Amino acid sequence: MKAFDIALKDMTRSFRSTFAVIFMFGVPLLVTGMFYFMFGNITDEGGFTLPKTQVVIANLDEGGPKFQVNPKNIPGGKEADSMGDLIVSILQSEDMADLIEITLVPSAETARTAVDNQESQVAIIIPTDFSHQFADVDGKAVIEFYQDPTLTLGPAIMRSILNRFMDGMSGVKIAVNFFVDEAEPEQLFLTGQVVDQYLEVSLAENDDPEVELLDVRNPVDGQKNDAAENQNLLLSIIGPIMGGMMVFYAYYTGTSTAQSILKEEEERTLPRLFTTPTSQATILTGKFLSVFMTVSVQIIVLLIAAHLIFGIEWGGFASVALMAIGIIVSASSFGVFVNSFLKDTKQGGVLFGGILTVTGMMGMIKIFAMNSAIANKMGDTISLLVPQGWAIRGLMQAMGGESFNNVALTVLVSFLWSAAFFAIGVWRFNRRYT
Amino acid sequence: MNNSAAIEVLGLKKSFGENHAVQGVSFNVNQGEIFSLLGPNGAGKTTTISMLSCLLRPNDGDANIMGHSISTDPMGVKSVLGVVPQDLALYEDLTARENLSFWGKMYGLRGSTLKTRVDEVLNVIGLRDRANERVGKYSGGMKRRVNIGVALLHKPKVIYMDEPTVGIDPQSRRNILDSVVLLKNEGMTVLYTTHYMEEAQELSDHIGIMDHGKLIAHGTHDELVKMVGQQTRIDLTLNGNADQVMAAWKETEGVSRVTSDEGLISVLVQDSNLTLPHLFEAATKHSARITSVNISEPNLEAVFLHLTGRALRD
Repeated sequence: MKAFDIALKDMTRSFRSTFAVIFMFGVPLLVTGMFYFMFGNITDEGGFTLPKTQVVIANLDEGGPKFQVNPKNIPGGKEADSMGDLIVSILQSEDMADLIEITLVPSAETARTAVDNQESQVAIIIPTDFSHQFADVDGKAVIEFYQDPTLTLGPAIMRSILNRFMDGMSGVKIAVNFFVDEAEPEQLFLTGQVVDQYLEVSLAENDDPEVELLDVRNPVDGQKNDAAENQNLLLSIIGPIMGGMMVFYAYYTGTSTAQSILKEEEERTLPRLFTTPTSQATILTGKFLSVFMTVSVQIIVLLIAAHLIFGIEWGGFASVALMAIGIIVSASSFGVFVNSFLKDTKQGGVLFGGILTVTGMMGMIKIFAMNSAIANKMGDTISLLVPQGWAIRGLMQAMGGESFNNVALTVLVSFLWSAAFFAIGVWRFNRRYT
Repeated sequence: MNNSAAIEVLGLKKSFGENHAVQGVSFNVNQGEIFSLLGPNGAGKTTTISMLSCLLRPNDGDANIMGHSISTDPMGVKSVLGVVPQDLALYEDLTARENLSFWGKMYGLRGSTLKTRVDEVLNVIGLRDRANERVGKYSGGMKRRVNIGVALLHKPKVIYMDEPTVGIDPQSRRNILDSVVLLKNEGMTVLYTTHYMEEAQELSDHIGIMDHGKLIAHGTHDELVKMVGQQTRIDLTLNGNADQVMAAWKETEGVSRVTSDEGLISVLVQDSNLTLPHLFEAATKHSARITSVNISEPNLEAVFLHLTGRALRD
């Protein structure tokens, strides 16, 4: 009972500190809010839209040996007299209308000037011999891609579209050359059908190029379930960031609250507690309990607030509850452990600036590397070197809809970290005050 | 006054490395009396109190508080003990009521008993009207009063007060000294440490003088003064022939010594009331006029000076 009284007293003190409350609740929500608005305009449905990329095209292609391409295989269904026309037709198709806005200009210079003057973000210059080079077995068909160097997303989308197109055309070229080499002379009139068949497979199979061209990934290594797939892109970015912030600041709170042991020692209230008929074990239990309870309140409030404010779906109840307990236990024990090595609160500044920031960032590295397969794998490895990484892993598993057993396994590892931290911390504090 | 010992201190020793903070201190404090430990800073008073509070384990020796040994029954000691530490030990972000309520729980009080005691203590320390203000907003004197109030919550039989008047204004100091007397009147045994000679002199039934970790003397105020044979000193200035007057004073009954330093003549006497008229007579006889007189009764300062060769506040 006395332990609970000590914990309640500590919690009262913690929540009366404006600074502590801001760090516990305000900062994680604020940082996530900043990302929320940074990553896009919020729609009524909670999604976000990419701004259209302004593209200027100088199609200088003079054409070449013709082969008939069935208009049904070209998005928009228009006839194409040259390879340049074919590219323009595809880019002007309705399917691309949501992504890019095309302006045609007569010369390469005009196209480049439009980008230089920031009237367009990308200029595509199709050279005069493009079709000829394409038709020539040994030729090299090259498109000039001119972009505003300060921009990344729009030009990247355009480059992706063009690459896909050029890959397709290269496939056509290889197919045609192979057919010409292998076919009997009387069969050469079938070349057009070969091209049509190839295009049917490679170009026209995608009804929605936006979906295919934007590789929208779920953060959990492609292990998507139905619930996760229903999340929109914005929330798939914001969710892990909010989770990362929550873990980062839970550890901050754990360490900061556990520091009350040292603070009370300096305020001389701890020695006074030792003069009351209250055992040392009860006093330390009360202090540890206060850390656990304070972090619990923080995690519960943040989980609910993030769901209500940002619409973040944390996952199934059982997985989320288990994951939350894992974070709470882990952050609390880490706080006790770290503080047991401190002589006084003055060392706490170094602690907060150093250990918590470094380990926190290591733990969160996976979140910021999730869109790159290599970086993601490396980030996964690095993050698991610190307890925060395991907490975030459990969180992401719950958010990704992974099975309860998978989440439980990760939380179990968190518990093992916690047990070690807690045992060392308690041993050191007991030794200190005996 | 009950003559059975509330506090028995038996050869307590405590060292911190090479620093022998307390070196075999022994004394008894009877129930219902005020015992002051007097000594300069660093004399070992707080270390002694810390051992008697079970905060520090002695290297040697023992002490019994209301029959509970500090070595073998620390919880028993703590249950009969209230401690007013030298430093303010309060939660400044909690109100006075919240502080008292929390500390009451630590002493095992619950429910209506706790509430009643908190109200009673708030009355005793005179802060009931401001009980719901955070302690951090209080003046130094008010904080001291709450600091004392915490130790009274469970109605302890013995209370330790470690330099409770350090750094506060004269009015708050007066209040605290009065409250110590009230505690005694309620039957509590008070162990009081101070380096203010006047406080020890005013409050104490018995006084122990500590220096360099040792209890160099203890007894009642009168016993201590008598122990060192101190006399009343009369300092005078004269207008006239000082040599002739001083010679006459040396022959006066009750005068043991006459010295002069830069015009100020000091006369040591057994009883100033009896001797002073004779000093005036002798001066008049030699046509000299006494222009100022200052009488210093024997005190603990002089005792400490006599025992250690140093002033108490050195």
